[in-house]
Formats: sequence, C-alpha cells, structure tokens
Amino acid sequence: MTDTKQNASGSNGTSLLVDRLSLFYSGQKALHEISLEIPRKQATAFIGPSGCGKSTLLRCFNRMNDLIDGVETTGRILLDGTDINSKEVDVAQLRRLVGMVFQRPNPFPKTIYENVAYGLRLQDTLPKTEMDERVEWALRSAALWDEAKDRLKESALSLSGGQQQRLVIARAIAIKPSVLLLDEPASALDPISTLKIEELIHQLKTEYTIVIVTHNMQQAARVSDYTAFLYLGELIEFGKTDTLFTNPKERQTEDYITGRYG
Amino acid sequence: MIHSDRDSLRAWFRSGELWIWANAAAVGISIIAIVGILILLAARGFSHFWPADIQLMTYRDDGDRTAVALGEIADSETLSVQQFVESVGGSGRAVPEGLDEVERLLVKTGNRRYDPPDFTWIFTHKIDAVSFPDDATVFERMEWGNAYGYLRAVGGPQETVSDPALLWDTFGNLMERAAGLRASIEDIERGVLNEINFGMEKVRLERRSIELGGLDVDQAATAMQELDERDLDLEKRYESAEQELRSLYRELQRDYVRVELATGQVIEMRLAEIVRAWRPNQMSALDKLWHYLESFSLFLSEQPREANTEGGIFPAIFGTVLMVLLMSVLVTPFGVIAAVYLREYARQGAFVRLIRIAVNNLAGVPSIVYGVFGLGFFVYFLGGNLDQLFFPEALPAPTFGTPGLMWASLTLALLTVPVVVVSTEEGLTRIPRAIREGSLALGATKAETLFKVVLPMASPSILTGVILAVARAAGEVAPLMLVGVVKLAPTLPLDGNFPYLHLERKFMHLGFHIYDVGFQSPNVEAARPLVYATALLLVLIIIILNLAAIMLRSRLEDRYRGVE
Repeated sequence: MTDTKQNASGSNGTSLLVDRLSLFYSGQKALHEISLEIPRKQATAFIGPSGCGKSTLLRCFNRMNDLIDGVETTGRILLDGTDINSKEVDVAQLRRLVGMVFQRPNPFPKTIYENVAYGLRLQDTLPKTEMDERVEWALRSAALWDEAKDRLKESALSLSGGQQQRLVIARAIAIKPSVLLLDEPASALDPISTLKIEELIHQLKTEYTIVIVTHNMQQAARVSDYTAFLYLGELIEFGKTDTLFTNPKERQTEDYITGRYG
Repeated sequence: MIHSDRDSLRAWFRSGELWIWANAAAVGISIIAIVGILILLAARGFSHFWPADIQLMTYRDDGDRTAVALGEIADSETLSVQQFVESVGGSGRAVPEGLDEVERLLVKTGNRRYDPPDFTWIFTHKIDAVSFPDDATVFERMEWGNAYGYLRAVGGPQETVSDPALLWDTFGNLMERAAGLRASIEDIERGVLNEINFGMEKVRLERRSIELGGLDVDQAATAMQELDERDLDLEKRYESAEQELRSLYRELQRDYVRVELATGQVIEMRLAEIVRAWRPNQMSALDKLWHYLESFSLFLSEQPREANTEGGIFPAIFGTVLMVLLMSVLVTPFGVIAAVYLREYARQGAFVRLIRIAVNNLAGVPSIVYGVFGLGFFVYFLGGNLDQLFFPEALPAPTFGTPGLMWASLTLALLTVPVVVVSTEEGLTRIPRAIREGSLALGATKAETLFKVVLPMASPSILTGVILAVARAAGEVAPLMLVGVVKLAPTLPLDGNFPYLHLERKFMHLGFHIYDVGFQSPNVEAARPLVYATALLLVLIIIILNLAAIMLRSRLEDRYRGVE
C-alpha cells in the first residue's frame, strides 16, 4: 500500500485494493504486477482486447480461479482492508461478500423463487414471510419484479435470456454482497435487454461497488465511473472514465479507444 | 440415353436411399423379433388357461383295437404316409387309398394314476366317432394333474346323491364347504402354526445364548425359568392348534365323489383331492371367459403344487420383485457415490482413467463368476463371520452363512454397479460448468453445490443407470442359483413375524422357476404351457419395473429440460 496511485480513490474510499498482483497459469504469466484501487459504490469497467486478462483479474476478486488447476498468484488483494487470499479467509464467506454475474445467464433449473432464495438458504433459515420479502426486494432491485411476480413458482428456464440475466443479478444481490462482479453481462443479450441491464447497473452502483468487464467501449463509457485498460496482462491505464476516454495518457489506450487495434 | 439405366442406378445408390432402406430394415427386424417373442409367449402360455371343450373319441389304436379317449386336444401334426408306416407296427398300419399324408392329434386324457399315459396320439383317419358329451367334467386335482370323466355320485358318510338333477348343485355346495375348510387349514398352518414355530425357535436360541455365557448364575436361572414358561405356553398353544387342525383335516376327508372314466371304470375321489371342477361343453363363451380369468388370477396368486408344475407362481413373482427392489436400493447409492468420487473429487489422471476402464470392464464379466464370488465372499466369508459375531446361539446351523435374499441382492448389486457408475458419470459431465460456478459464486461449498444443484440435475442419468441395472438384474438366473434362489421356498421372505423382512431366507425367482419347470419337472410335456406363461410374466414384470423408472425419469427430465 505504499506507492499505489491515489487518483482512483473516490469520495467513499477504496473497496478493493489490488497490490502488485501477478497470476500464472501453470507457470505462464497471465497478469503482470497489477496495482489499482477500486472505489466503493462506483462502477469500474475493465476494458481491453480479448485475452488481455480482464476476466482473469475479475475472477481473482472472488477467488473463482481457485477452481482451475495450476493457477498461482503473487501480490495481494485487500477487500475493505482484509487480504482475501490469507488462510483465515473462508472462500464461501468471501463469495457471499463478492457476488458475481457471468457472461451467459446461468439460472438453476429451479423455480424463479428458489433461484433468488438459493443463496439465502445457504446461510440460514429465514421465516417464510421474511424470505418472501427478501425475494421480492431482490427481484425489485433487479427490475424483474413486475415481469416475474405472477410466475414465481415457474421454472427460471421459462424466462427469456435478458430476464434470466436480471434474475441472476437478483440472485446475486439477494444475499447483500458489498461488491458485484459483472463478467460481460450483456454480451449474450439483444440490444433492448442490454439497455435494461445498463440501466440496472446505474441504479445498483448507488448501493454496491460494481466491477464490470466489457469489450464494448460504448458500454464502458455509458455505465462506468472509472475505467481500467488492460493489454497483454498488464494494466496500461486506470482513471476516471471521462478522462480516460477523452484524454488518455498512454499511446496504447488511445490506439485501442480509437479502434486502431483490438 | 444408352447408359440411362446404369446411371440412374448409380444415382440412386449415391442418393443414400439404400442406406435409409437398410436402416429401416434393421429397425423393422428388431421390432418384429420383439413383438414376435411376446406374441409367441402369450399364445403358447395364456391359451393354457382357456377351458377347452372335451371330446369323446372312439378310434382304433395301433393294434387296430377299438378304444375310447376323453380329453382335450393339445396339439396336432401332419405325417407323410411313409413316416406313418414306419412309426406304426402291426395290423394298424394300413392306410386308406388316396391318402399321401395323415394327421394325428395329441389328446390330453389326464387321469394319471388311473389310466396312463397322460397324453395319447390319435390318427384322424382312424377315428370312428367324435362327440362332445354335455356332462363331461374336468377335475383339477391337488396331485396327478387333471382327471376327465363323468360325475356319477357325490356324498358323505351318511347319504349319497346320485340323482342327475341334484348332482351338480350338491357337488358345488360340498366343494364350497371343502374350500372353506381348506382356507381355515391354511390360515392355521401359515398363520398360527408358523408363528408358534417361530416363537419356539426363538426360545431355543435364547436358551442356547444363555448357555453360551455372559450372565451370572442367578440371572441365568431366572432367565431360564422365564424361557421355560414361554416354552410351555407355546407348547400348549401348539397342542390346541394341532388338535383343531386334525379335526379340520378329518372334516375335509368326509366327502367323496364317484366318477366314471371314459373306459367305464368308476373311481372314487375325496373332495379334498379336488381343487376345482368344470364342465366345459356346457359353458357359454362368457362362462369360459370368466373361468379363464379365474384360472389366470389363481396362477398369479397361488402357491405352486406338484413340483411346481401345477398351481400358481406367486412366491416366484414376489421373490423376483423383492430381490430387484432390494438390489436397486443397494446399487443406487453405491454407484452414485463411486461416480461422484471419480468425477468430482478424484484428481483426473492416468490412475482414475485406469479405474474407470476397470469399472467399465466389470460389466463384461460373466454373471456366473459373480455368483461364485458372491458364494465365496458374501455367503461363506461375510455370512460366516456375521453368524459368529451376532448369531452364535444358532451355530452350527447357519443364519447368514448360507445363501439367501440379502446375498443374492448384494451379488446382483455388484453385478450392476458398473452400469450405474457409467451413466451417473455421464450425467455429471453433462452438467454445464456455468451452473456449478453460479452456485459456488453465491457462497456455496463444493458439497452444497453437489447436493443442491449437481445431483438433482444428474438424477435423470442416475435413473437411466438404475433402469439398465434393473433390466439386467431381473433377467439374471445363473448367479442366483449359487447365492439364494431355490426351487421351492417354504416361506416368503416377508411376513408378519418380527423383523418382517427376513433377509437371510431363501426365495423363489421366476427365471429359475422357468428352468425348473421346463427342464427339471417329472412331466415336461404337461408343464410346457406354464413355462411360456411364466416367461411372459417375467418379461412383463421387467417391462413394468422399467416403465415405472422411465416415467419417473421423464418427469425429472421435464424439470431440467433446456439447461444442457
């Protein structure tokens, strides 16, 4: 925490602090000495060409990379001051604090209600009325309540792709995480569903720290407050979205934004 | 245009039409084979229960002497004159002019014990007269098969009825009385007597275990005294049951019938010897249908008699179904746990691949080998040790150290476990990674993900494995002969005596029953229809068990459709 750039810290302080993080896939370096601070209750976007490591970096925040054999990391990631890779941290507990939404909607083959209640049921048994309230609140927060309220007992698979993605977001926020990771959440959706998801991100960032990976620069510009540009596993530039898109410091960033490669 | 024929043939060949025809032919042959088997079994097996008309034939036998036969036609075949002349000796071989082939009928004349043989071949050209006497009666006997004849008189020790007008009704009433007596006898034998025997055996074993030690002298003495009292009480109950039984048997022996056979000989039968009697020549089609259904339901619900060639097959049906259900209960958790470990927890590598190959190849081991293994390991080793640990009082008589239901189910579970492992593994690999990650990302542990998401989604595949296992296990006979199936089991493995399910008992099985009746019975010819009927029932039971599992699976598949 010594020489981290201070330009990223927002008004509410830092949620995630990444300190010289490197990641190796079976010895091969995939992320190289990345340091950045992700501000609390703001939306931060990771952009970069395919294979630049933006999804890998995202998956470090809830230790999803643990599932892959042969992955090793060095450096630190602090969530509200706690090293998430330390031995005392329970992975399941960490993932309750850092929710994640994937590229393709992945609802469980259960009812809509059970999908939202899944994470809650893992933690403790709430009385039915309280559970009902939480499910309704989560679905409302994900802007899905009006469409789903009459079919809570139907299979989640009967929803459309865009609705499924919002259901998955509802499922993630039902357990009230502090950070929400979105891994290209709209890449498999049609333009109208994409628009709804983007509106949703705007609302959600008032409550949650949001980290979104996207390869769509317009999207990054529309939804995020901060943007990080990664290239070949290195963090090239990180700053306020307005500044980064209008006045990039680095040559590579400018080339990428103006569409010269990627 | 010269080459058009060849070209069009080539074009037709290239179009792949031939391939489609070949496919259709292969499917068609399979369907014909399956339906053909079922029809053959049904026709041969179920026609046995239809009450055929009784013919009275006057004919000339091989020695050209006039003879009479009363019975039903079982079969017919055509012989060339050449064959006929060779097979018939003496003066009977003369053939009428202008005949190139002769027909002969196999007539079931029954009456074993009075008028052998059971079946007679009669040449149609040597039949002088055929009639269907109205009062010809079939008597299904407890022993010796059917008897054919005319009812002439019925009666008890005091009075005898021989008036034709009253005869049949009187006979019917007395038969009903006999059936009632038989039911009470069976109640006592299978109920009270069985229970008393069970209790006495228990007292004997408890006494033996006190003798083996563990208690001090005073305690042993009081325990022994208590056992003596129980024994005395049982003895008293046994005495009274025995007495009741004896008087019932005496009552049952009271009435008799006098029956005139086709030869004119009059015989006397106790009503106790007769199961049922009917006069098929007087029966309307509806009566016959009723009789048919009754015979069939008796076949399903009765105990076998006469070395399994008569009576029903209920114990065999019961044993088959119970054994298959027990096998499923044992194999499912075992196979699923093994598959989950191999797929979810074990580090994928050469060793796991080797284990997987070994498991797959286990399915190809001949079933009799499993039987030998079951006998050596389960019965002698496990069973023998269980007996020494838990049932020392019964030794040297084995409890679990002898073939029985439990070992048969376990052996078949072992035989079918590869099938369940393979299909469960397939189901587990088909579950998308995204679903697992979705669960883990919500803070679920690996085990929670497994039980709440992965296994429910894999359940259709698990059921596929169970379906295949059931199909294989229900049809298996060879290993069962070594580990628990017997020709005739005195008691069902499930009854009213604690602990109700007796896993150590031997049981009957349809597959073995077919073998036994078809090839080991004293009268193979008479028993053949039963072989077909039993075979069809075995197939039907397998189909029913499979259909139940398939319906369950399709319900589960509906729930998870659209994920994969």
